[in-house]
Amino acid sequence: MATRGARPLDAGGAAQHEGFLRYRGYRWLKLALAISLAAILIYAFHDARSRPNGGSWYGYTLGTIGAGLILWLTLLGVRKRAMTRGRWSLKAWTSAHVYLGLSLVVIGTLHTGFQFGWNVHTLAYALMMIVIISGIYGIAVYSTLPRVLSANRGETTQAQMLDNLRQLDRQLHEAAQPLGQRHAEIVRMSLDDDPFGGGLIARLTGRYPKCGTRAAQEAIRIETGPRPAIGDDALERIDVLLERKEAALARIRQHLKLKALLEIWLYVHVPLTFALIAALFAHIFSVFFYW
Amino acid sequence: MTFIVRQIARTADGREIVRPQTFAAGPIGIGREADSDIHLPDLAVTLRHAEIREAGPGRIEIAATSGLPVDVNGRSTMRETIDVARGANIRIGSHMLTVAAGESDERGATIISVERVGALSEASEARDEQRAFSLAGVAPGRRATAWALAIAVLALFLAWPLWSFFTNHQPADGARREVAFHADQMWSSGRLSLAHANLENDCKACHVKPGEAVRDEACAACHGGVHGHADPLRLAVAKPQPGAGAKAQRAVAGMFGIPEGRCVACHVEHEGAKTMPVTEQRFCSDCHGGMDQRLTDTKVLNASDFGRDHPQFRPAVATNPGDRPIVQRLSLDARPLEDNGLKFPHDIHLAANGGVAAMARTMKVEQGFGDSLVCADCHVPDSTGARFQPVSMEKDCQMCHSLAFDRVGDTVRTLRHGDPRQVVADLRAFYRSTGPVAPINLDGMARRRPGEAMMLRTSAAFNQAAALRPARADQAIRAAFSEGGACFDCHAVTPPTSLAAADWGVVPVRLPQRYMAKGWFDHKSHAGESCESCHAARKSATAADVLLPGIATCRACHGGEDAAKAVPSSCAMCHDYHMDGQAPAMVRSMRGREAGARPWRGPQAAGGS
Repeated sequence: MATRGARPLDAGGAAQHEGFLRYRGYRWLKLALAISLAAILIYAFHDARSRPNGGSWYGYTLGTIGAGLILWLTLLGVRKRAMTRGRWSLKAWTSAHVYLGLSLVVIGTLHTGFQFGWNVHTLAYALMMIVIISGIYGIAVYSTLPRVLSANRGETTQAQMLDNLRQLDRQLHEAAQPLGQRHAEIVRMSLDDDPFGGGLIARLTGRYPKCGTRAAQEAIRIETGPRPAIGDDALERIDVLLERKEAALARIRQHLKLKALLEIWLYVHVPLTFALIAALFAHIFSVFFYW
Repeated sequence: MTFIVRQIARTADGREIVRPQTFAAGPIGIGREADSDIHLPDLAVTLRHAEIREAGPGRIEIAATSGLPVDVNGRSTMRETIDVARGANIRIGSHMLTVAAGESDERGATIISVERVGALSEASEARDEQRAFSLAGVAPGRRATAWALAIAVLALFLAWPLWSFFTNHQPADGARREVAFHADQMWSSGRLSLAHANLENDCKACHVKPGEAVRDEACAACHGGVHGHADPLRLAVAKPQPGAGAKAQRAVAGMFGIPEGRCVACHVEHEGAKTMPVTEQRFCSDCHGGMDQRLTDTKVLNASDFGRDHPQFRPAVATNPGDRPIVQRLSLDARPLEDNGLKFPHDIHLAANGGVAAMARTMKVEQGFGDSLVCADCHVPDSTGARFQPVSMEKDCQMCHSLAFDRVGDTVRTLRHGDPRQVVADLRAFYRSTGPVAPINLDGMARRRPGEAMMLRTSAAFNQAAALRPARADQAIRAAFSEGGACFDCHAVTPPTSLAAADWGVVPVRLPQRYMAKGWFDHKSHAGESCESCHAARKSATAADVLLPGIATCRACHGGEDAAKAVPSSCAMCHDYHMDGQAPAMVRSMRGREAGARPWRGPQAAGGS
């Protein structure tokens, strides 16, 4: 025990990052696969009277395992707030969460006996599947999007992106000072546009149809379009600034979109988990109530 | 009046920088124009936005000059007079102009403090960067959503059905809850079978007490007359010893208070709105396979699969007709001989040529016969189509086997079938009431030889014959009941008890209506087959032949439940657990599919059973 934590060069493993997916050579993946395979084999060969059904002995067994598993999986939300090392490290726990959560697809589906209907039982199943699918999505984006995110960001930080925007706003403001009110209003369309506005859909799609900066630029170009560029026109300067701001906005918006795609699954995964637990309770309660 | 304008700016660390400017007199111009007295570098402000001038002692007036209003103490206005002593807040664009009266050195002057209060742009507004870049600002909060969803689910799928349950009061008169939407149907795992369609959504009809698994009493409330399978004690003995798995299941079920052997163990519900699933073969075979090992005194032979493990058929064969009939279940393998009291060679009657066929041809029109007799000429299906109407003398035999013995005018008199004593009486009456044929020379109209002698001789002979005629009846009776006679041809005749007596009798015929009362055979289902494919009637020369096909014939098409035969047949195709003289469940469900299933209408409609 004394040497624990004092073996930084241990067998070439410690230096290499081992994510929760590959934790301990896919230990939990193997376990989850074994559980799923066993569940399928027993399902195929067990003695289901009349037909496979959540109410058979195997159905009840799978249901109990599934319900327990769901509650345990939910506990990750509690567990993740305390980071520890070792066998029961958060990484181990997350790895188990992912793979055992995936095996729940098999356990839950076999528990249904492939009988579905418009009832609380299928509701619980549907919620479970949505939660699992959102989790799968989460893992997928976690393993792909951060790379895209940092590629988009380049070397800048979020704060730098925002500062860049503020700088441009100041320059725009400055450049617009001598303008008449009509032109000043055009510039204000851009200044008053909230780069973080637009709502959830805009965040996820990266499309901002009501973008004030673009509208401002269009209006400015209608003004400057027919005139020759003589190089000393405040509107021309503003046009250039607006173009720069739009480029900055595009990068920020791409950043926001990627971040939204990275985060959105949790807005499904977590609330629906609680809806699932409620539905699970109603499901179990109703089965024993109308027994 | 002196105006002191203080332009206030703030450094990044929040320190104020005040740049005062004194104007001896008004008006003071406010605008974005650089030469304005109060220069507001604010795009929301027009180049020359407003003016402040004196308006009497201690009062100033602000007037908008560009057509855009200003905001004085929160009120949008084009022109406003302000009492300097009371002060005012004037908002123009993102700037706030605070008007106040000067104090001490500046007494008498009007102080106007100018400060930018709004951010230069939306992006410039101070904000929590982490939060701004995350979804937290635009998506509904996770915690709130979680609570809302969980509560919604509990309210909709737990509280509402519970409310529906507790407000569902079963009427005392046995009336049903109306078939409509009830919230507790959201707990139903599937539609009820068609047989129970009228109970749909009436959860309490079966789930009588909450938390208690469905009991047989709930079923018996309607199905009161259902026949049990066998003596429960013998049933218990016949059951195989449960394995470890079954024992564990029993133990768990016991823990939850579920009794063993409930109706619902076999009759599974909530499997969809179709006919109730037919009980599987193994529900039978687990007891009936190797049952003699456990129930050693049983007469029921082992059976576990129609194709592989089923005894030869043992029809109920009458071996002794008459008043004390003996009917025995005999295996077809033993080639049992039936004695039902009738003499009937099928081969002669079905022959394509010969006397029977020739006679049939004479009755083509009146009886609808073909060139020779066929099975259907005598064997007519009953209303169910499963079996046949009983063959009767009057309907099926008499057109050829006539019992006519006399004719009065156009009316043919026949002997009464089925009543030997009447036959004897009718024959006696015939001979008593009729004379011998009168000789031609006793007829007054006849030509005759001269002289009385011949007539007298003839008359004497005739009188003697007439006197003796009733005695001829005995002869005729004997003939009818003896070989070659009308009765003897078809029936077993019992001779008179003494030589002098004429109490001839006929052994009652007992044709079987069902050979296999423990099983079920549906002729209608086999309409595609010819009769001869199972019944070797054309080769049968005696009524003693039991013309049933053996199990091998059935197995040509039928196998066990999972057999690769044309007709996989579980036990329920021929046998019923609750044997009631009706077709077995599987046949009924097939019929139900053919004719649109007929739901159970409750005990009243079913005749109280």
